[in-house]
Amino acid sequence: MPTEIMDREFVHSGHVGCPGCGATIAMRFVLKALGEKTIMVLPACCWSVIAGPYPQSALKIPVIHAAFETGGATASGVRAALDMKGDTETTVLTWAGDGGTFDIGFQALSGAVERNENFLYVCYDNEAYMNTGIQRSSSTPYGAWTTTTTGQDWKRLRKKNIVEVLVAHRIPYVATASIAFPDDLLRKAQKAKETKGSKFLHIYASCPTGWRIPSEMSVKIARMAVQTNIFPLYEVEDGLRYTINYKPKEYLVREYFKLQGRFKHLTDQDLDQIQQMVNEDWELLLRKAGKRA
Amino acid sequence: MNEAKNPNPLFMPRTYLTTESNKTGSWRFLRPRYDEKTSPCSATCPAGEDIARIEMLATQGLFKEAWETILRENPFPSVCGRVCFHPCEGQCNRREFDTAVAIHSLERFLADTAIRYGIKPDLEKRSSQKQKIAVIGAGPAGLSAAWFLSMLGYACHVFEASAEVGGVLRWGIPLYRLPLNALRHDIQQIEARGVTIYTGKPVSPDALEKMKKDYDAVFIGCGHGRGMSMKVPGEDLKEVSEGLDFLRKLREGKTPPCRGVSAIIGGGNTAIDVARSVVRLGGKALLLYRRRRQDMPALELEVEMALEEGVELQELVAPAAVAREGDQVVLTLQEMKIAGEEGGRGRVVPDEGKTRKVRIDRIFKAIGAQADEPRYQPPAGASGLLSLSHTVLVRGNQGAVMVFGGDLTNETKSVVHAVASGKQAAMALDTLFQEGIEAIVPKLEACRVGEGPSLSMENYMGGERRLRNPHVVRYEEINTDYFRFIPRVTQPRLLKEERVQSFEEIDLKISAHLAMKESERCFNCGLCNQCDNCFIYCPDTSVIRDQDHQGRHINYDYCKGCGLCVVECPRNAMSLGEEKS
Amino acid sequence: MKRVLEGSHAVAEAVRLAKVQVISAYPITPQTHIVEILSEYCTKKMMNAKFLRVESEHSCMAALIGAQSVGVRSFTATSGQGLALMHELLHWASGARLPIVMAEVNRALAPGWNIWVDQTDSLAQRDTGWIQMYCEDGQEVLDSTLQAFRLAEAVNLPVMIVLDAFYLSHTYEPVDVPSQEEVDRFLPPFVPKFQLDTAHPCGFGPLVAPSDYMEMRYHIAMAMDEALGRFDEVDAAFAAQFKRRYGQVEAIDCEDADIIFITTGTVTSTCRIVLQDLRARGEKVGILKLKLFRPFPSEKIREKLKSAKKVAVVDRNFSFGASGIFAQEVRAALCNMPDHPPVFGYVAGIGGRDVTPELLEAIYWQTKNSDVPQKESVWMGLREVKNAD
Repeated sequence: MPTEIMDREFVHSGHVGCPGCGATIAMRFVLKALGEKTIMVLPACCWSVIAGPYPQSALKIPVIHAAFETGGATASGVRAALDMKGDTETTVLTWAGDGGTFDIGFQALSGAVERNENFLYVCYDNEAYMNTGIQRSSSTPYGAWTTTTTGQDWKRLRKKNIVEVLVAHRIPYVATASIAFPDDLLRKAQKAKETKGSKFLHIYASCPTGWRIPSEMSVKIARMAVQTNIFPLYEVEDGLRYTINYKPKEYLVREYFKLQGRFKHLTDQDLDQIQQMVNEDWELLLRKAGKRA
Repeated sequence: MNEAKNPNPLFMPRTYLTTESNKTGSWRFLRPRYDEKTSPCSATCPAGEDIARIEMLATQGLFKEAWETILRENPFPSVCGRVCFHPCEGQCNRREFDTAVAIHSLERFLADTAIRYGIKPDLEKRSSQKQKIAVIGAGPAGLSAAWFLSMLGYACHVFEASAEVGGVLRWGIPLYRLPLNALRHDIQQIEARGVTIYTGKPVSPDALEKMKKDYDAVFIGCGHGRGMSMKVPGEDLKEVSEGLDFLRKLREGKTPPCRGVSAIIGGGNTAIDVARSVVRLGGKALLLYRRRRQDMPALELEVEMALEEGVELQELVAPAAVAREGDQVVLTLQEMKIAGEEGGRGRVVPDEGKTRKVRIDRIFKAIGAQADEPRYQPPAGASGLLSLSHTVLVRGNQGAVMVFGGDLTNETKSVVHAVASGKQAAMALDTLFQEGIEAIVPKLEACRVGEGPSLSMENYMGGERRLRNPHVVRYEEINTDYFRFIPRVTQPRLLKEERVQSFEEIDLKISAHLAMKESERCFNCGLCNQCDNCFIYCPDTSVIRDQDHQGRHINYDYCKGCGLCVVECPRNAMSLGEEKS
Repeated sequence: MKRVLEGSHAVAEAVRLAKVQVISAYPITPQTHIVEILSEYCTKKMMNAKFLRVESEHSCMAALIGAQSVGVRSFTATSGQGLALMHELLHWASGARLPIVMAEVNRALAPGWNIWVDQTDSLAQRDTGWIQMYCEDGQEVLDSTLQAFRLAEAVNLPVMIVLDAFYLSHTYEPVDVPSQEEVDRFLPPFVPKFQLDTAHPCGFGPLVAPSDYMEMRYHIAMAMDEALGRFDEVDAAFAAQFKRRYGQVEAIDCEDADIIFITTGTVTSTCRIVLQDLRARGEKVGILKLKLFRPFPSEKIREKLKSAKKVAVVDRNFSFGASGIFAQEVRAALCNMPDHPPVFGYVAGIGGRDVTPELLEAIYWQTKNSDVPQKESVWMGLREVKNAD
């Protein structure tokens, strides 16, 4: 990544993100790629708080905070107004958590991308409603503890595949990214910026607090998620052309699960089953990418 | 903001300050810091070369700087890059990942690059000191002592008995391992420092006494020129000679006879050198060793190549008697058997009753050496004697301080240990002159690389290396997520058919491209190579890039002590400590 | 130029003349004609605006909040369920001090599905910080919509123009549609007091602690108070140019009236007929039409009602557990006035049931023949219920 891109900063220090917060790392990276002509729509999520309490802002770009479920809709309005003012250069960026994307914000997202609104929607995924205290969302992975899936009621439903949902909308660009692969993430954010129409980035953003991992493990976990095929790095153009960006190391998912407190209740059998599920999903992805018959 | 025109500004939820007034550094209970540490290779290198840094500079294409980094600790990169037994590679952390970095080949590459481009090194030199030092013996120990002493500002006069400089480097090691121009290049650097070398000047006992008056110190590095005795009957036959003498004659340009079969007794590098030289002269070499192949102290690669070249190895045999029978010599061999382990090698005892005879044309002994003259040995039990790890100092009531080094005092007799010895002598003398004898041991301890015993002249002279944490980085402390499996560079060599035809150097050159690819494999254990991971991953934008060579600093006003920078540093160049409030 | 337009069309004409730049639209009967006409205007380039076909009313309002924050004039229309769905964001729009204008066609709330006129939907939003204006006929609709933009932008509060389902939205009437030049003189282009601007970045709507939130809310309250005076200014400026004036309330024959009706929307038109009839028979009756509902014109109401003997409020809405909402609000305006007339509350026309002259006359006689109100609100015209479980 060229130094002038990597060196520029759009996030101030002094914000109240947890130590090791993956969402903050993701924000730093994406804004480096997008630059200062960016307006952010920020529905309710951890970043609503990290962005700074009145009268402080942690960001060097304009931000409009929005109601939880309105990420896609508010951005549509911002875009329309900018276009009416003759500004087609400023990037409209919706920055939403998994709750505001997979669940309550799903309708507005689907509506906006169905209209192929010209904006970039970034979902930074920490796999639960972290801002309100670690409750389960449809993005919470199979096997996880959350405050609303406790004890034996740990989540026994698969994580919703939001990327495939977006691919089904046939928008110009959909991609996954991980904070542990900064060059890949920045490249994708830049590519999104230069594409017209709706763009969606699904960024894996670890949460030490909610996942019960030490703060210094944030990036390592994000790397392992990719290396174990749990979170493959790939991009899809126009809903048709799949490109898998990273050939994974195919580590056992067990290694990933064992490092996180939110999974400590899982037995070896559970982990075997999960390994199978991950293998199936990976095969499915390979077929879509044309790598399997 | 943009409401200045309105006389009644709206009081509404809209920001006008940044979060920078919130000093989140107060959250910290752990504090990260930049903490460069010691690489295992540099701690293992007897000369304490700053290997991690050398490879880092090589990767950046800064070959001159990398070569200079070697020279600060070892004046013989051309030589060591060819003949060193490279213990560094045996401790290289990368060996636990895929294969050790080819440090040895890279040293040779850097030296060869300096030769090829006629690079002049820019090295620190202290101002001139008043003391003058005599060095006896221009072998690796003596020349190293002279090199380091002149770095410290001392005038050095080196006295070499033979016609040419180098000691065992010139007279003992065959050309196919160490060509003359490579040796000469290293020696030229030493002379360019202002060291005066007198050749053809053997030092008689009287001359030595005079030196003790004329000089403030005398370094004795005469080495082990005399072979050991086999203590068997018939040893005095003319067909029995010293392997070292044979090698010397070859280096003098002569062609000593070696038709037929030559038996070589021994298992060290000298024995192999003799055997392989015999092959090149058209003779047959029969290598006889009292233990097993794996016990041989010679470099494994040398043994392998020797066998490829047609040297025959017989293990577990020791000479029992030598006799002449007509034109030939009969050597009675006592078979040996393994009776346990000692010092990591097999312990052998005679297999009673089992002997056999071999018929050969001559015997070369290569079973070890000792000092030529007793006065070359450090006097045991003398008063004012200070024994260090690689040298012995003797300080009498008057006259020069005597320092013994090299093979005379080293437990392991190798070129790089000789270099260590010369360095230690230089440091000891300088400390003695500047501060006094009591200061020597603590001062040298402070210059250890890691836990020692290797010493660093750069540390001694107050360089930045002294700021490094002596903790030696272990493989578990490397974040291997940042490295891919890459095969080690293959050192190109002459084919065995080509090798035996002459004494031409076996190892061929590697290109800069290959060298940089190989040096890139180095983890740079404990050193910051400016990869910027700490800057990239900090969630609090608290690693600030600087324009100075340090590259960055941590803004402790905001750092929350999450520890990501420390964990994501691939090479353990940072540490996390307790925050003291 | 006088044209025969249905109420929806009158709204659309005003939006066109106001040069709105971003329109968001979601269909719901009976407001859909408004957005359909606007869609056509945009396609035919009769308007230069972005038309966002969003996927719900909630998103309608969200899109406008986004657009208005960038600094352009914006508009949407909704009704009934749609307005209810927007509720959260109605609070947001006012809290964000955005001068959004919306046409709201009063429609009954489900279940059961009922697309006809009922005022409960808009009145249930009375606490959201939106200015609310109720309209009687097509001309008033067009005029009020134009005024709404000027008023909203003066005080930085959103404005809702309320019209009855079908009786107003789908009724064709002669409407004088002004020319673009005339409107331009009345309504200059929107100059935002704040906007999202990459040259001057800041955050809109961040976390606000108790230490600051209360003052921000107080400023909204102050803006609402200011809106009363601004409404009159806008009303006067409009009258000066277009010769039509509405006032916060309209008092018809109230000076000597013993009994005064309080009505809103199209019921007022029907009531005017009843008033003529009753007056002809010597009854001292008057009508106080409420146009401005938020901010509530308490002063004007006290002024106009102080000499009346009785007040009869006609509510086409109800707040369960309390009473008709207009009645409640009027009572509150009068309660601290010594010797204020008793307020008789009547609920009529719920869910589109017709409010006939007969019904209004029955309300008059019932009021006249009662000394004091027996109940908070009396439900008029109820039929006997069969098949109740």
